[in-house]
This record gives sequence, structure tokens and C-alpha cells, in this order.
Amino acid sequence: MGHVLGVDIGGTFTDFSLVDEQGRITLWKEASTPKDPAQGIKTGLANLAKARGLSLAAFLDGLDLFVHGSTIATNTVIQRNGPVIGLICTEGFRDVIFLRNGFKPERFNWNLKPPEDFVPRYLRLGVKERLDYRGNVVTPLDADSVRTAAKALKAENVKAVAVALLWSIVNPEHERLVKRLVEQELPGVPVVLSSDVLPAIREWERTCATLLSAYLLPGIAAYLQELERFLKENGLRRPLLIIQLNGGCASVEAVLQKPIYALASGPAAGPAAALHCAKRENLADVIAVDMGGTSFDVCMVTGGQASMTKEMRVEDMPVGVAAVDVHSIGAGGGSIAWVDKGGALHVGPQSAGADPGPACYAQGGTQPTVTDANVVLGYINPDYFLGGRRKIDPVLSRAAIERAVAKPLGISVEEAAQGIFRLVNNNMISAIRAVSVERGIDPRNYAMVVGGGAGAIHAAKMAADLGMKKAIIPRYAGVFCSYGMVVSDVKHDHVKTMACNSERLDVARINALYAELEARARAELEEEGFAPVQIELRRYADAKYPSQVHELTVPVPSKAAIDAADMAQVLEAFHALHERMFTYCVRQSSVDFFHWGVSGIGRAAEVPAEEMPLQTRSVTSALKAERPVLLENGFAPTLCYDGSRLVHGMTVDGPAIIEQENTTVVLFKDQKLAVNRFGDFIVRL
Amino acid sequence: MTGALSRDAIQASGEQPIDPITFSVLLNRFNAIAREMTLTLEYTAWTSILALVRDFSCAIFDGQARQVCMADAIPIHTNSLHVVLREMTRVFEGDINDGDVIVCNDPYSGNTHVGDVVTACPVFFEGRHMFWSVTKGHQLDIGSFIPTSTPATARDIYQEGLTIPPVKFYDRGKARHDVIRLYLANLRYNDQLYGDLMAQLGSIWNGQRRLQEMTAEYGADEISRYVDAIHDYADRRMREEIRAMPKGEFIGETWMDSDGQGNEDIYIRAAVTIGEEHITVDYTGSAPQTPGAANASIGVMQAASGVPILCCIDPTIPHNDGCLRHITGIAPVGSVCNAKYPGSTAIATTVPGDPMQDAVWKALAVALPERAVAGFGRVQCVPVLSGTDQRGDVAKDWGVMLFNGASGGGAAPHADGWPLMMTLSASGGLKSLGVEMSELLYPMLVERMEIEPDSMGHGKHRGGAGINMALRSISGPMECHLFGDGASNPPHGVLGGTPGIGGGNYRESQTTGVRAYCSAKGHMTISADETWVSVSTGGGGNGDPLERPADAVCRDLRDGVISAGTARDVYGLAWDPETFAVDEAATRSQRERIKATRGVLRLLTPERPSASPWLKEHMRPGDVFLLDPH
Repeated sequence: MGHVLGVDIGGTFTDFSLVDEQGRITLWKEASTPKDPAQGIKTGLANLAKARGLSLAAFLDGLDLFVHGSTIATNTVIQRNGPVIGLICTEGFRDVIFLRNGFKPERFNWNLKPPEDFVPRYLRLGVKERLDYRGNVVTPLDADSVRTAAKALKAENVKAVAVALLWSIVNPEHERLVKRLVEQELPGVPVVLSSDVLPAIREWERTCATLLSAYLLPGIAAYLQELERFLKENGLRRPLLIIQLNGGCASVEAVLQKPIYALASGPAAGPAAALHCAKRENLADVIAVDMGGTSFDVCMVTGGQASMTKEMRVEDMPVGVAAVDVHSIGAGGGSIAWVDKGGALHVGPQSAGADPGPACYAQGGTQPTVTDANVVLGYINPDYFLGGRRKIDPVLSRAAIERAVAKPLGISVEEAAQGIFRLVNNNMISAIRAVSVERGIDPRNYAMVVGGGAGAIHAAKMAADLGMKKAIIPRYAGVFCSYGMVVSDVKHDHVKTMACNSERLDVARINALYAELEARARAELEEEGFAPVQIELRRYADAKYPSQVHELTVPVPSKAAIDAADMAQVLEAFHALHERMFTYCVRQSSVDFFHWGVSGIGRAAEVPAEEMPLQTRSVTSALKAERPVLLENGFAPTLCYDGSRLVHGMTVDGPAIIEQENTTVVLFKDQKLAVNRFGDFIVRL
Repeated sequence: MTGALSRDAIQASGEQPIDPITFSVLLNRFNAIAREMTLTLEYTAWTSILALVRDFSCAIFDGQARQVCMADAIPIHTNSLHVVLREMTRVFEGDINDGDVIVCNDPYSGNTHVGDVVTACPVFFEGRHMFWSVTKGHQLDIGSFIPTSTPATARDIYQEGLTIPPVKFYDRGKARHDVIRLYLANLRYNDQLYGDLMAQLGSIWNGQRRLQEMTAEYGADEISRYVDAIHDYADRRMREEIRAMPKGEFIGETWMDSDGQGNEDIYIRAAVTIGEEHITVDYTGSAPQTPGAANASIGVMQAASGVPILCCIDPTIPHNDGCLRHITGIAPVGSVCNAKYPGSTAIATTVPGDPMQDAVWKALAVALPERAVAGFGRVQCVPVLSGTDQRGDVAKDWGVMLFNGASGGGAAPHADGWPLMMTLSASGGLKSLGVEMSELLYPMLVERMEIEPDSMGHGKHRGGAGINMALRSISGPMECHLFGDGASNPPHGVLGGTPGIGGGNYRESQTTGVRAYCSAKGHMTISADETWVSVSTGGGGNGDPLERPADAVCRDLRDGVISAGTARDVYGLAWDPETFAVDEAATRSQRERIKATRGVLRLLTPERPSASPWLKEHMRPGDVFLLDPH
């Protein structure tokens, strides 16, 4: 294995994680260049090559893996700066995206504005055709109506066309015909079909997934193809891989088939990073958390697999496809603490961001933030924030908390700071409970893996409050996601619909269906260069009790020919999952199946990791200072260690503070930290 | 989000200090538990009315049956659950034990209407009764004389279906299978409704589990203390809200289309008295009780009084007992707003629940015009369809309450109305089914489901659009039961805004094209060669249409949401028909012209009953109109 590189484009910085043959990690940050995102990558690559004394060509030639993630697709949707696109739908149904599901959040607030339609109504055009729920033709497709619609969209100069017809999931023929006709009228304009992007029932979700794909396609196609061309021309031997919202990678070509998979492409890599270092501790059940400046992300990883969801939304639109279930709330170092007119204290979701930032940054911010509370409590060392590169002023933290929290609540500044710390922790704990306890998972059996600059200050306390036994703070906690990219597998999902009931199972049809899906998945992975041993195919099915409308996804055994006994096992898995999630199940009832899927996984090659020799040096060699810190009741002198001098074999007993360049670890009483052979911190709670 | 008490309030409230941070943490925790109860019910219910439409609510009460926390669900439920729970606890006083599940749907025991079934379990911790975990779910069927749980044509409570006064379904942890069998034996689709019952029980048991975990974590005494603090907090904030409102008595009037028995324009009047720290809503003067199903139960009356007021206060005030105790509803027994036994209240939650809230909103428009929201379309064009599904090997009965074509919401002071909002009683808490799911689950083909242009009231903010929907059965004839309102009495406009169109529904012969129009209530059989068409009204407009930004008007015009005539005559828009560019100067002068000739803007429009011209405009020679057909 040569070098592997992960590149994550964020709003401010483009992060590079380079791992060499010995597993040594080089981190590099380059300013992002939003107008031409590839420019930041090119500059960073040149600098990385230069730092290693190599030409760009030699550097790229030495890479065995190049994985890229970015928020480009997400930002295109959020900022609505994509091109004008059109939608072709079944006549009589052009308001599917306007009518949504009829639901309005915030029951008692009528001043909430209705969401703006993603494609205006005049660009949503119906064509004469109709299929029924079995895929039978009720009204044949009228080619003239398609041509008329295509001409109208041409006149509006659309850059892509989405096609979402009713019941195309059972019979895609009409959609395919529409595509051919539209391509004749609008040569060169991409046409995206709902039956390709999300072959699943529910027209609102499917139409949105298709629209979003069409909206993203022109922009990311231009960007990714140009980037891939540049890399190839400059010596990269391997295909450029893109991290997708399902937590796996895919080639540029595959992503452009289903552009919606390019959404949320950065955060989806977090769980992979968490799992990577949990495995080294022989753990497969972890809660991956990432706390940065503005948000807190949490994802459950069970049995080595990240939780998935089909409920993901972007800009009030359902994404529909199965995505890594990263639950995000507005809780970060920059989250603002405020007291409302009723005398209630709130923390977040508003953030002071990077500018003006927390009050202590002395950049004009006057609102107290979580970081300010951490400064007042002594958790953050004012002289060693970001390794001393950013000067912070504790006086400003105190003043902000005094004015905005302590005075209105009639409590001391220290009590207020402790309150902010406790409340933001509580908000994050609620987020963790929402993805664990509320889904029938007991977090006490999990370990917490902590990423993000602010995470380690809060994590040990939160994990202990949740009754967890162990928290892992990786060496590379500050660049969680870009590291996660280089350890992510390639993943493609293939889905088909076939309605059937457990009492009338046609096992032969199920076998034929899985054979087809697996052949597709295998062919795609082989084409991407995976050897048979690297390929894993995971089967699943969506099941529900008849007339129930929400499905649960259950695994299906992988065998050439499954039989009735295997399906009985699937049924039992469904009942058990239903009971775990919802307190009851109905074993005497039959079960309906509708969607059948296969995840094709191409295993990433093992990325080496540098190991530290076991040291017998005393931990006192890493001691920096003793300073007053408020952990329980009042300030007490507390030992502070230099994280970079903590090596394999050392242990630190709480209460203690460990200061590192990009993060600070706060250990409470009875918590014990040990350094493992990879330099990760393992905290026993 | 979190809320903490300031230390001042704490000093005032009690002997032992309340820690503001623990207070916030627990307030959050209650909200999370109520939310989890809601998710459990939504994801596990078997019929679409609960699982997709979410016609249910979950709430947590303390041991004294005071509401502590409700999920953001169906307001007509959540703001009346305390009425029924109090009766349930009164009936079983001295016999409430760990492991009990008590069920009730009796409107004369404080429930909303027979279709809503309440399940409640007491939550014990170390032998102490700490909480009630409660859900209310609208059942697809309750054994009425016709296949709907909202029989608009019922004449008394006996016709509505099975009435369940407070009854234990579980006694000390043991299921009373005989009682459950009795319940299910009275229902249509009872295999599915068994699933719905289990989903409701799963929800309250989940709530119970979480409440016990929380109590174990903090201790029973501590939890009780903080529950009191949560009530005090809402109480104090609600008092402050009311103190800041203008004092006096404010009157609102409206009309119900019909009572389901052919009597039209039933009068409803609300006198809203804003006192120092209390608001009273008095429906005295409304019409006498009707012989039909459109009468309010006491639960509906209480909730209808409160919901519009809750929309006018700071949304961060918890809607718990401390808040709700400041609002009282009054109506004489035997009136349309408070039925006398055995009068029917089968459709009370929406009719007269919605008109009653309209009357309160109209009174609030006088008192607090800057917070006024325009009228909603009420539950219109929402049929309960049923028949026999012969698509599979075995024919089976089917039934669905279909919200897909529902009416629009009223415009607010700062926002346009939302589509599909229909009833204030749900306030956007119901989800519609979608076309593919409807067709997969039920033997129907939806032919059309699109915005009806010009269906909404106009104004600075316009109402949410109405919908034109057409569907037919693909498996023999189907029954269509309507239980709505607001067609002949359209949603009102406020502060110069115009009303919605009213709209209506009809069945049309696919061979002759002849239409039979139907009032908002009634029963029709739609035969296999007929199509059922509904044109729902949009919501009312808010504010002067001439103040609506020209580009917003032009966008609606280009999108076909409003017609060229409306853009020109109501909004005074001038535009280039090719490019849809606004002609600013011409628009200004057009608006000046309209302003000079139109007269004074009304606070509320219309001010008379049966104001919708829609039916008259749409009926053609040969068509018929059916008023409340049975």
C-alpha cells in the first residue's frame, strides 16, 4: 500500500489527511476557494508535494487512494445557486412538491412561511400518461405531450430535466420513453429519471430526490470531471473516489448517475473514522460524536455498521435514499447562551460562528458562548487555545456571561458558566438519546468516539451521564471526517420493488430478484477494480405488518438460494426489531414486503497505522502546570498535561486537563485516561 | 431548547430552592418523552389515519391529572385531554394501580367525540403514583351505523358507535381479554384496529418506561417539586401575557354550513372577555343544539376556546396546566356548542369545533388585530371512502379518511397560508397520504390532484391554495361520507383580505357528464362509472391586497396560482405577458385607481351567512344539488 489521501472541502478550510506506508499521518489545511473549489485542492496538493520534496506528478503517482468529500452539493442546494431545471410529471400531478405531505411544523405559529417550491410551478409540466399500482398502462404515453413540454422547457433554457411519473417504480417504460423524447428536443441537456435515482414508492420523496439530482448534476459534473481530468493528467493512477451520503465511496461516474448521493458528503465519513479507531480497541458498537464550532453531529454504529435513515431532509425536502443517520443539532463551541424575556436560559441553536466568534476572541462579539463558559470554568487555557495561535481574553468571557446570563438569572458568573456547560451537555445528550434510546438502543453498551475541536471538553462528562463506560478520543480528533474518508469502503445501493406477503412468499422470485441485484452490484464493483475477496454484498428488505405504512429494514441472509426457513428467520428478525423499537410485536400476523435491496461494498484496503513503542516514563514528564479549574464545587487546583507528550503506556487520573493543539480533554473525578499504542486516548468512566 | 427559571421566581415559588439548570434539563426531558411517545405511535400504527395522517396526540400528566407536557400534535386533542382524564381518574378513584390501562371515548365523560379513543396508564414509582402517560387516537372505525367514525348524519350518540365510558383494558398488568374482545367485536376492520390499539398502548408504555427511568434518576420528591415548578413557570408567563393584552369583551360571529340534517347556516357566537389574568370564551347566544351530529362536546368546547388564544401568545410558553388554567370556555348545555345527552357530537372536533374557533379568531381580530389570522377552509373535501377491495385473491373491506384534497389555511400577519391545513383543530398536524400510497392500500385511481387557481382569499398575505382532486374506484362502487363544513360559508378574510371561494364537491357520470353536487356533509354512493371530484377552498387573505409586493403577485400569476383577471383587478398588477416582468409605474397607477374607487376595507369579510357564490357559478343545467343526503 502506498500513500492514501483524504480531502474534505469545508466552508472555511480544505482539510487533507495523508497517510504514508508506515501509517504516519500528515494533516494539511488550505483555505477553501468557494468560487472554484478545485483551486484549493490544487494548491493544497502542490504544497503537500513540495513539503515532501516531490513534484506534483511524483506525489500523485505515489497515491494508492484519493478520496474526496465536500459540502459543495449541500451548499448548492442550501444557497440555491444551481441552474434552472424543469420537471416532467404525470398530467394532473404537477403540484406534488408543493402539496408535500400536508404537514406543518410548529402547531401554534402561523407566521411560519410555507417552504418555497424548489422548482417553480411554471417549470413543472405534466405529460399525458398513467400507470396503475401494478404498472399496467391506464393511459398510454402521448409522445406529443412530451414534445410540447420539452419545447416549453427549452424555451426557458433549462440546464437539466427531472422526470418523475407515478408508478414508474413498478414500470419504468414511460419514464425511459420520456427521456428519449426529451433528449431529442434538448440535445446535451441531462435527463434524470426517478426510477433510476430512487426506485421506491411515495411520489413526493421520489420526485424530490430526482429534482435534487437534476439540480446538482450540471454543477458537480463539471467540477468532478474537471478535477478528475486534472488529477489524471498530473499522474494519479487510481480513480478519484467521492464519499457519498450513504457513508461509502463511489467513482465520479457512479456518483453522476445518482447525484443525490453527493449530498452531505463530508459528515457521512465521521462514523467510518470512529469505527476505525474503535476496532483497534476491539469495539464494534460506538456512538460517533463530532462537536465543532456551530454544530454537534451524532451517529450510532452498531455491529460495525452505521445507522441509516431514509428520513433525511435538506431545505425541507426529503432526500428519500438511505443515508448515514447523522443527527445534527445547533450545539458547538460558538453556540450562544441567552435568557428570554420569560427568564428562561437557552443555549443555541444560534452560533457566533468564526466571526465575531465567542466574546473571548476579542473580535467584537459580546454574546456569551459555550467556549466562553469553558474559559470561565478553567477548561480552556487562555494561553494555549489552538496551540497558542489564537489569543483569547478571559475577562471578556466573564463580562459577557455576567451581563447576559448571570445578572438576569440572579446567579454568580461561575454558576452561570456551569449552567451553560450543563445545558449544552444536556442538549447533546438529548440528541444522543434521540438516536439511541428512542430507537430501542441502550447507549450504556456503547463506547463514545469523540471528534471535533470542542468534543473532548464535553464528551467524558456526557458519556458518564449517559451511563457509558468508555470514551475514545482519537489522535486525529480535530480532522475526524477527512481521516474517515481514507478508511471508508466503496458502497452502492441497489433496490427493486416487489410487493408480497409472508403467507404467500414466492421464494423462487425472491432468489431471482436478489440474484439480479447482486449481479448488478458485483459487476459495478468489479468494474471499479475490486477483487472478489474485497467485495461484500449485504441484502436487506423493508417489512411491515399489512396495512401498516411505515417499514422497518431487516437484514436477509446471503445465500445462493434462500429457502422458507431463511425467510422465517427474516420474519423473526422483523418481529424482534419491532418489539425492541416499539415495545410490542404481533407474531401471529403476516408481514408485507415491498422494497428489496442489496448494498454492494468494496472493502477499502487496510490503511496502516503508526504504532508507538510502550514507554515506561512517568506521566509526570507530560505535566505542564497546575491551575484552578471548576469541576464540581468551586475552583480547585487541577493538574494540566501536555497531550503531545502523553505516550503509549501512560495513564492520567481525573480530575485533570489535557491540552492539545486542536482540542482539550476535561477529565472529571474517577475518570481514568490511558494512551493506547496508536496514541488514542481511552477514557474509562 | 431549554428553559430555566430565574432565581427571583424560585424564591417566590417555594420553600426549597429550584435549581434553574435542573429545571431546564427536566423540561427538555419531558418534551423528549412526549416526542418519543408520538414517534412510537406514528411508526407502529396499522391504519393510515394514525400512521400517516397522525390524527392522534400524546401527553404526560402528573399524578393529580394536571397536564405537564404535550407533544406538538392535534390541538383539539391536546387542549382537552385534561377534561377527559379528570373524569377517568374520578371514576376509578381509589382503584388506580400499577399496570392499569384505562380507556375512554365517551364525549359525556369529557372526551371530544366517540371516534377519539383515549388510552391512559398511571405511572408508578416505588408505589407512588407519579404520572399519567396518555394518548388519544382517532380511530378509522368505532362501530357506527355507517362505515365512518365521523358519521355526520348520526342523530344521537347511540348511532355514533360504541361508547366506552372509563373502562380498564388492563388491570394490574393483566390484559382484560374479554373487554378487548368486546371492543374489537364492535368495530369494522378490527384486525387493523387491534394493531392501532397496540400502537396506542406501545406509546403509553414507552412513555411509562421513560418517566420511570427519569424518576429513578432524580428521585420522586425531587421530580414532584420540579413538576410544580414547571406548572408555576407556565402559569406566571401566561399571566404576564394576558396582562399585556387589551381588556374588554370582544365578539365574533360565524355560521356552520349545515347540521347534517338539512338545516343550514347554524349561528355561532363567541364573546371573548380578556380580564386581568384570565380569558373567558362564552358561546352563549349560539344556536340551540342541532338534531344532527354537529354539536360540540364539553371537551371540544374547552379546546376550541383555547387554541386560537395559544396562537397569540409567546410560543415558548409550555401549553401545560399552568397555562391552560387561564382560559375558560362556557356554553349553555343544550346548545350547539355544548350538547345535552344523548345528543350526537360525532363530528364535534371539526364541526362545530372549527366554526367555534373561527368565532374566537374573529373576536381576537377585534382585540389583537396585529396578531389576527384569517379563516381556514375547515374540514372540507375530506371524504371517508369505503367499499370492498376485490383486487387480491380474497375480497376485503376497505376504508380511508382521505385528506389529499383538503382546503387551505388562512393567511397570517407575516406569512401566506399553507395548503392542506383545513381544520384549525389540527392546525397542520395531519399528514396527507400521497397518491401512490393511496392507490397501493386502497382500490382507487386518483385522476388529478392540483392547485385550484384563484381558490384562496387575497391580501397582503394570501390564503393557502385549495385543491382540485378527482378520483374513482377501480373495484366496484364506493361509499363517500362527508363530514365537513365551510363550503357555503367560506373562510373569512381579515384586515381587508378577501375570503376563500368556499368550493364544493360532486360526483360526475363518466358517460353523461351529469353532476350531483353535495353539501359539505352527507353520504353518497359513487358507482363504478362515476368520478368523485372535490374543489376545496383556499384559506382567507390577510391585509390589503394592494400592499402585496408586485413580484410576489407576478410569481403567482406566472405559476397559474392566480388568474390574470385577479392579478389585474384585485392586486392592481401590470406586467409584460411575454416576459412576466412587472411594470412598476403602471402597477402603481393601477393600484391608485383601485384604491380611489373601492370604498372602506372591512376588518372581516364576509359578514353574512351563505356568502359563497361558488355553487351558483359552477352548477350547469341538468346538474343537481344534494343537501346533507343520507
